[in-house]
Amino acid sequence: MNNALRQFRDFFVSLQLTVVLLILSLLIVFVATLDQVNLGIWAVQEKYFRSFFVMWRLPDSNVALPVFPGGYFIGGLLLLNLIAAHIYRFSLTWRKLGIQLAHAGLILLLLGELITGLMQMDSSMRLEEGQTKSYTESFREHELALLDKTDPAFDEVVAVPEAVLADEGMIQHPKLPFQVRVKAFYANAQMQMGEPTARAGAPVATQGIGARVQVIPLPLTYKPDEINTPAAFVEIVGPSGSLGTWVLSPLVGMPQIFGFEGHTWELVMRLKRHYQPFSISLLQVTHEKYPGTEIPKNFASRVRLKDEAGHEDREVVIFMNNPLRHGGLTFYQYQMNAAGKMSAFQVVHNPGWLLPYIACIMMGFGLIWQFGYSLLGFIKKRTAATPN
Amino acid sequence: MLETSMSPRPFASALLLGMLFLYGCKDRQITAYRAPKDPAPAAMPAASGSPSGLPADHPPIPGGGGAAPGGAMANTAVPTAGGSDLKWTAPETWTPKSGSSMRKGSYAVKRDGAEADLAITAFPGDTGGLHANLNRWRGQVGLSPASPGELDAALQHVDGQGLHFEIIDLVGTAGNPPTRLIGAIATYNGNSWFFKLLGPDPVVAAEKPAFLQFLQTVKAP
Repeated sequence: MNNALRQFRDFFVSLQLTVVLLILSLLIVFVATLDQVNLGIWAVQEKYFRSFFVMWRLPDSNVALPVFPGGYFIGGLLLLNLIAAHIYRFSLTWRKLGIQLAHAGLILLLLGELITGLMQMDSSMRLEEGQTKSYTESFREHELALLDKTDPAFDEVVAVPEAVLADEGMIQHPKLPFQVRVKAFYANAQMQMGEPTARAGAPVATQGIGARVQVIPLPLTYKPDEINTPAAFVEIVGPSGSLGTWVLSPLVGMPQIFGFEGHTWELVMRLKRHYQPFSISLLQVTHEKYPGTEIPKNFASRVRLKDEAGHEDREVVIFMNNPLRHGGLTFYQYQMNAAGKMSAFQVVHNPGWLLPYIACIMMGFGLIWQFGYSLLGFIKKRTAATPN
Repeated sequence: MLETSMSPRPFASALLLGMLFLYGCKDRQITAYRAPKDPAPAAMPAASGSPSGLPADHPPIPGGGGAAPGGAMANTAVPTAGGSDLKWTAPETWTPKSGSSMRKGSYAVKRDGAEADLAITAFPGDTGGLHANLNRWRGQVGLSPASPGELDAALQHVDGQGLHFEIIDLVGTAGNPPTRLIGAIATYNGNSWFFKLLGPDPVVAAEKPAFLQFLQTVKAP
């Protein structure tokens, strides 16, 4: 084995690496727990655990510096370390089987969290009775959607995520016959009626509702029950010049429409949508309470699930602890407003949901085997040593 | 072990760079797709009889019949609006009462032996849109849903202290006296705020000026 390869192997199988990583994990958990006071659970998870580095933003600038390894970094290295050590020190004996199994379980647990962190998608679907939707919406993330509404049967959509808007640059896309210049982006802002020119520093909108409102930037909120409502000043630039500047925010309640080369376009800032190849219609909400109390007895939503391909068309009742699973998504009963005939589902897509269960079973068996084997050996030894 | 003699640094730094690169690509994808058109907001079925399921001629029960938006919600985690709350000054003649956890403010509005209920609630986002909410209110006084055009025509727009109110005045057809609802909706801090006065027509009619004046006291803290 050449020297570089040996170095590589020894680095990853070393117990020192394990210890260093465990100490780093301890530190990060400690700091993140304290920081929950400032950021709340959701932001802490994103900042410390679902990231490769904990970034620290220089005061009054957009420059962020990595200051500490994040959860993915530590977890990822720990995973490599475990796998490498596992392979390197592997020996197929009955005595070691318990340890092997427990470690394999731990590897699976780490892998499961990685898969969950990377691939889990949490969203919601909010329906009124009689309404049908074929998309779920993000809880927090927004997108700028440019909809070509010309065809009466469908919309052609180009969706721009918040992260791209935040760059405040020029956006070009093969599906767009014009360019989109983001003149300003506020990650959280409110709107109020008023003369737009009265606010110094902000661009002035010339089209749509923007000509009648002011945008007031707000600090980001991290509270679990609040969402940030971004706002953007967006200029549409065609080959022959600007078509005007619009203000976009999820707080705008009216469609903002313009025509371009015979096509009708709509601009909207909305919660990020995830379209599915099937649709859900809410048929009926049921909300029963125990007589004479406000204690809920049963709340259920009767929905109709219709697959676009026509394979499936059936009615399902979703109630607490009885979610609907379809197409890799799980629909849980989440909120209900019986007076408004409204029901909302939490929609979870997590391809790795089974892994933690399997991992725990493996670790459990591994430990039972390990201790059982030692115990048996011990008992045997004692029996042998006992003089008859 | 052996590693004391070897330097792990080249590998660590290669790994570090690789991960930094991966990190930069997160959530930046512009997507294009064809989507079915959003249908117009679903029409709300007309509430049968009075809003609380009481007989049509039964006076509304304070705090019960005058259910706030979400007053009848299940005990699941319903996010009411968070953040800084609006402030207001209620007329002296209104009696504050303990509302449900859904309510930001709750008053009994009494006059000539009858009582109306004033409920202040707030929810994140647009809670289904203006028209859906107005039709929900129509249902609460026993009116059938109206088209967006009719709703827009019935709306009154009033500017308050930095807030814009959309106000609707609905008189039910059933009951003697009929139920009346004056509701105002304002958007503040990304939340929809609902101010709803619901009760027998004579009480609500007499209190309307006080209600409109009250809206003028509503402001950001």
